[in-house]
Amino acid sequence: MMEKDHKKKAEPLVSVLLPTYNRRSVLPTALSSVVRQNYSNLEIFVIRDGGEDVSDIINSFNDPRIAFIDRSENRGKAFSLNQALLQANGKYIAYLDDDDLYYPHHIGTLVNALEDGSNCQVAYSDLHRTYCRIGPDGEREVLSKILDISRDFDRFFTLCFNHTLHVSLMHTREILEKTGTFNEKLNILIDWDLTRRLSFFTDFHHVHEITGEFYHPVGDSDRISARYHKEQDEYVKNFLAIRTTRPPKPWPKIKDMSIILTMDGLNEQVQDTLVSIWRHTFYPYQVYLPLRQSEFGKLDMEIPNVVTVPVESRASKEQSIDAALTECDGDVIAIVPAAFPIRNLWVEDSLYALVNSSVSKEAFELEDSTYKLWAVILNREDLDYARKNFPHLPLCQSLKAAGIIIRRVLAEEIPFQYDQLLEQARAAEKDGNWLKAAQTFGYIAEHYQNKLWIRTQAVRAFFKAGLHTQAAQLVHQVNQQRPTVDTLLLEARLNRRKDCKSAIEILEKAEQMLEFPFNQVLQNDPVFKEKI
Amino acid sequence: MDITQNNTDQQKNTTQRYEVLQELGDCNTSVGNYEEAQRCYEKAASVSPDEPGPYVGLGVIALQKNLLDDARIAFRVACRLDPDCSKAYAGLAMVAQQNGDHRSAFDMYLKSLELDTDNLTALLGLFQTSCRMGSFVQVTYYLEAYLDIHPGDISVMFTLAALYMKDNRFEQSKKILLDILALVPSNKDAINLLEEVEHKLAQRESTG
Repeated sequence: MMEKDHKKKAEPLVSVLLPTYNRRSVLPTALSSVVRQNYSNLEIFVIRDGGEDVSDIINSFNDPRIAFIDRSENRGKAFSLNQALLQANGKYIAYLDDDDLYYPHHIGTLVNALEDGSNCQVAYSDLHRTYCRIGPDGEREVLSKILDISRDFDRFFTLCFNHTLHVSLMHTREILEKTGTFNEKLNILIDWDLTRRLSFFTDFHHVHEITGEFYHPVGDSDRISARYHKEQDEYVKNFLAIRTTRPPKPWPKIKDMSIILTMDGLNEQVQDTLVSIWRHTFYPYQVYLPLRQSEFGKLDMEIPNVVTVPVESRASKEQSIDAALTECDGDVIAIVPAAFPIRNLWVEDSLYALVNSSVSKEAFELEDSTYKLWAVILNREDLDYARKNFPHLPLCQSLKAAGIIIRRVLAEEIPFQYDQLLEQARAAEKDGNWLKAAQTFGYIAEHYQNKLWIRTQAVRAFFKAGLHTQAAQLVHQVNQQRPTVDTLLLEARLNRRKDCKSAIEILEKAEQMLEFPFNQVLQNDPVFKEKI
Repeated sequence: MDITQNNTDQQKNTTQRYEVLQELGDCNTSVGNYEEAQRCYEKAASVSPDEPGPYVGLGVIALQKNLLDDARIAFRVACRLDPDCSKAYAGLAMVAQQNGDHRSAFDMYLKSLELDTDNLTALLGLFQTSCRMGSFVQVTYYLEAYLDIHPGDISVMFTLAALYMKDNRFEQSKKILLDILALVPSNKDAINLLEEVEHKLAQRESTG
């Protein structure tokens, strides 16, 4: 059906980027999975990022769609991908790591999603996390395939952390003109860095299909991410660099936030607050720091996204705000005293409520705001209006005089509620409180998106809670739509007592799923057979 | 690639591949497809060589084929891999029982039940060997323990009722039989035994 769909119109060219470094034993599997896609209009860039020679592997495929960038110097994944991007002609770009693989419908599925007229310039699917054991000859033995990440696009979450693996992702080539390419200064999280920048310009289309797998060796991992996770300082450095990256404007999907920091004078506390903001703020921001002439040059620190604004030496707090306001270009403005406590989500809770509010003329006091340390966030146009019309009044009074309603954020308005509920369900599972876990999953499935995956999680909880009838009904529904090894195993266990033969059929499907694609597509392929 | 979640808890000791193969082996054994079951168990053993399950399965198949030596070896391997494997001891007991060594069978069934009072095979095996040996004290204890976990298991309820009667514990026997009839009013065995128990009770009352 899918094949028919994308044969109706001309297939757009897709560029697949496959960097490789010292993984000769698994590269043939990865490359075969691209070459054997149901979708044929591909250009495949294999980039050797130094390390072992792989030209014999590439040549043995004898496929004119493969372009081999053979570099003996190891310059990192970001550099390799950028090198291929310079040559890529595809309407769409897809990525594959040399130790992962696509299922045969991967490219076709994502192209369909991008061509369906939804205006998304990014689409992504789900992947199996495949646990494997590495044999002495480097061969991988698949032990388990888990669908542990399947999440609908959430811009706030993407800004905070990664939930989309690049192996599962495809985007238009033209969007890179806005986002820029991979950041070669980073040595970890380069995927998230680009994904985060993409989210400034487009929504992402989540396709609820499993279209590939990424490998997770049991024991020590040779992954770059695993290595750098161990080096905490390096990790934090990269992490903060990504979170403070501001791609060139305009940003059609993100409201820029300006933070005006008010203070009595430049002191250590101000500098500490600036550092805290840098470390705790994930939403794109720029801090505007009103400084007197005498204070210029005293700010001795390299913190990104800090703009100093000159003010007169006797300027009042309001005059400083007004001066900063003329400089800043944020769509939303937070006004924060320098001594304000900064913690995780210190501003994002209120910001989330503000950007999702349909009510005009509304301002939100930050959660930790007090009478002495009063902090507020509001739309720029509302602040402009208040300050223009009531410049003689103190800030709070000018907002009220302008008819702006100032309130605190409500519990149901804060971000990451889905994640908090998911965390509660997981905690209940860990405590062995399966009934609570099942009920929480049920609630999430009822009230949030991505019902299928949540139901998959709920099934196990129902089973463990002894609610076998509910578990049987739910697992059957799930397996009709998107079976996984875990859900098939569970359905077989539930069926076994009354119908052993149907349990055997279900288990055979699970066994095939663990073998796939080696049992079907690749194993019957003479080229692939030769490679492995 | 960057992994967003720490799902180390998913990295279980047993793997899906092992679980699927073991389950497939068990299901195929249940329907008498021993060759396929054997294939699954052998594969499961190669995937997870430290798990006793596949050897228990192979032992059961050997028992079914009356290959008692093979069965004994397989169950012993399972016991070595997991000294707390109740199923493996039950298997060894069955081998002993088949060989007519009721004393060893009795001991192995007891060992199996000590490790898992929920093991029905061991429970019924213990009952059978107890019948042979004429001693019911321990089997009564394990039948009671089993019923604490599975209060509605009629076959075990009936066995216990029969043992109580044999032991002259008529009131307890009657109570269980009434429980069975509340669950399945047409259970003929229970009706007949209840009749017998009530007769004994009446006799006892009349003799004072």
